[in-house]
Amino acid sequence: MSNIGFLQSKKMKFWFKKLLWRHLVGIAVAIFALFPLVWMISAAFDVTGQISTQQLIPMHRGLSNFTDLFSNSEKPFFIWVRNSMVVAISAAVLQTLIGATAAYSLSRHRFKGRKLTLTTILIVQMFPQLLATTSLFLIINSFGLTFSGLGLGHQLPLILIFGGGALGVNTWMLKGFFDTIPSEIDEAAKIDGAGHFVIFTKIIVPLAIPVFIVIFLLSFIGILNEYLITSVILGLDGKSMTVAVGLQQFIYGQYGKNWGPFTAGALLATIPVLTLFLFLQKYLVSGLVSGSTKG
Amino acid sequence: MRQKFMFVVTYAFGLVLLGMAGKFVENKSWFLGFFFVISSGLIIYVYAISKKIPGKYLVPGLLLLVLFHIYPAFYSGVVAFTNDSNGHQLSKTQAIDAIITDSKIPVQGLAPIKYSTAQATDTKEIYLIFQFPENVFWAGNSDSLVPLNVADVNLTNTGEITKATGFRVLTSAETVEASSDLQNIVIELKDGIWLTPSDLNYLEASKQSFRYSTQRDELIEISTGTTYHPNDNGQMVGSSGELLYPGWKVNVGWRNFTSVVRDEEIRRPLAAVLAWTLFNAILIVVIGFLFGLILALTFNSPHLRSKRIYRMIFIVPLAIPSVLSVLVWSGLFATNIGVIDRLLHIHTPWLTNSFWARIAVLIVELWITFPYMFLISTGAIQAIPNEIIEAAEIDGATALKSFSQIKLPLVLRTVAPLLVASLAMALNNFGVIYLLTGGGPIFPNSNGNAGATDILISYTYKLAFNSQEGNNYGLASALSILNFALIALISIYGLRRMKTMEGVN
Repeated sequence: MSNIGFLQSKKMKFWFKKLLWRHLVGIAVAIFALFPLVWMISAAFDVTGQISTQQLIPMHRGLSNFTDLFSNSEKPFFIWVRNSMVVAISAAVLQTLIGATAAYSLSRHRFKGRKLTLTTILIVQMFPQLLATTSLFLIINSFGLTFSGLGLGHQLPLILIFGGGALGVNTWMLKGFFDTIPSEIDEAAKIDGAGHFVIFTKIIVPLAIPVFIVIFLLSFIGILNEYLITSVILGLDGKSMTVAVGLQQFIYGQYGKNWGPFTAGALLATIPVLTLFLFLQKYLVSGLVSGSTKG
Repeated sequence: MRQKFMFVVTYAFGLVLLGMAGKFVENKSWFLGFFFVISSGLIIYVYAISKKIPGKYLVPGLLLLVLFHIYPAFYSGVVAFTNDSNGHQLSKTQAIDAIITDSKIPVQGLAPIKYSTAQATDTKEIYLIFQFPENVFWAGNSDSLVPLNVADVNLTNTGEITKATGFRVLTSAETVEASSDLQNIVIELKDGIWLTPSDLNYLEASKQSFRYSTQRDELIEISTGTTYHPNDNGQMVGSSGELLYPGWKVNVGWRNFTSVVRDEEIRRPLAAVLAWTLFNAILIVVIGFLFGLILALTFNSPHLRSKRIYRMIFIVPLAIPSVLSVLVWSGLFATNIGVIDRLLHIHTPWLTNSFWARIAVLIVELWITFPYMFLISTGAIQAIPNEIIEAAEIDGATALKSFSQIKLPLVLRTVAPLLVASLAMALNNFGVIYLLTGGGPIFPNSNGNAGATDILISYTYKLAFNSQEGNNYGLASALSILNFALIALISIYGLRRMKTMEGVN
């Protein structure tokens, strides 16, 4: 009996000395980390929709912010969602495809200009596209003078612009992964008569599916988060905006008026991304960290 | 079979690109025309002619990279030497045409001109048939003007034209139906007079008030004889300095760059913006890293069983789309009414006072950065071999010593390249700044509304797209060049130190 008590108190002492402060730090940082999310959730369900009276646990809870958001015909939330999905999915597919094919040839083939290509990609990577936003705007504007479907306000040029940024973003990381796939596997396939396309689609791609998922998701999230180029190319017209741009236009300078419906929209847009991220955190985190090591 | 199919698809695609090139050349977009010709050739060569493999996998990405990443960067260099801005986007010929067309004034004292709407029997095009002056008949629309023989026209005594050879006069019901087309018709007569339908029966005559003399390169106001000459900023200017709009795009040499130094309204805000850009980036990388490192050390205890839960919570900021979280933060920071002020019972002018706005920016940036710093620090700490730490402990190193002399240097060596990359990112952290404070509070008397929290890229954006003085693409591009140079300097320095280039071999 006394023996157990002794053990317990020793355990407690250890806990106090070694672990208590860690928990205190952890709780403080957790509050900081969750702070905006918690208030976003609480505001979304607060039927008064007021920023100035908002409480952590709202007095009057309900879904009126959501219904307000959905019924606002000048701020078509679902059209924004659709625009975001069209742009982000097609651009992320394009980016993954371009990154994968480029990385395959850079990892598996030796050719003249290979080093030059790799160095160019590395240098280009340092200068993100958004530095040249003004030029992109003027270029897409002149596209539009010749082909109206490729001009400002259209999604296709925006998707192609993100496609143009693909090599600088994903190639090094994918090449690093392809390099770890033993080349004996494709040698063997080659002896069996497989061509380069078969090797790529039947051997490399299946082995790299997890990496593709990571690249696709990181591209997808990155594009959803892009504000500058997206707003400049698509413009600030109600129907052409994405969720990010639309919600910004919705709330900016009107916190008093639109806080409730805005947080409702923000919450709806956050949930899928947050869920995806936390479920796949192991892969995504390693992707984030290793992606930047290469750069 | 599949190869034949690929062949056809490749050639078809190549031809489409070639056709697009033709259209670009027609519209005088020389580079785009050139680029599409090259692309078309390259694609046909790589996919239908060459037997080499790598090109087949690289070419699409490389073409997009050149068009939407490398070319824009160089194009900034071109635009930076022009006065490209609102009111200076046309070519000179287009601008002069626009001035003349916009200067139309109604002609006074003319008898009303009656017209009939008719359709050409051969081309089915819509024409207006009218007489001007008396007994001279015309059929005209925006594209052409055809004289008609008096004998071919049937004129009633109310002045109405009911028949004309080669045309079918429309009934009044048909005319009403075509009225939306009629509105756009502008008939240009020889002597600088324009006719436009004012209603369904009458034409209104107007004439240009300017005339352009090609030989002397000047615009002459017809009624007064005043002359306007082009100035070196691509605009027609009168003798007493009055300007005609629009202007056109001209090369202005280094003016955009020198104005950065000379123009007080750009120099002062830009100096502040540059200083804050650097200070903000360095500070956030240092603070964020220290925060992440301390957190990583705290949670690197083998006894802590709830580590995974904490870790999951700590990465939440990475998992919320930052555009949205920053907007939520900006609401929470709202002075007096925002949650932060109410919780702490303070009245902080978060977004209206320079100092507090900067603090707010740093807090939000820290919130976004620390999870990443925590992750990379944790990785680096776990990569340190345990033997080293144990050896130090046996040698009697205190906890502080073993940290500062052994752990920290080892961690720094691993994360240094990541920190340089973060620094380059932090220099261009447009989203946080623009969405949180809009760059504000705004400096008084600054060109383009620069503010205390503006960084170079957000100031550039304001000049290019959000300026009350009119969007100035030339000046904005000059600032982009400055930004390129800044990042190049930091990256070269970083690369030298890190030798990341080794990876190329």
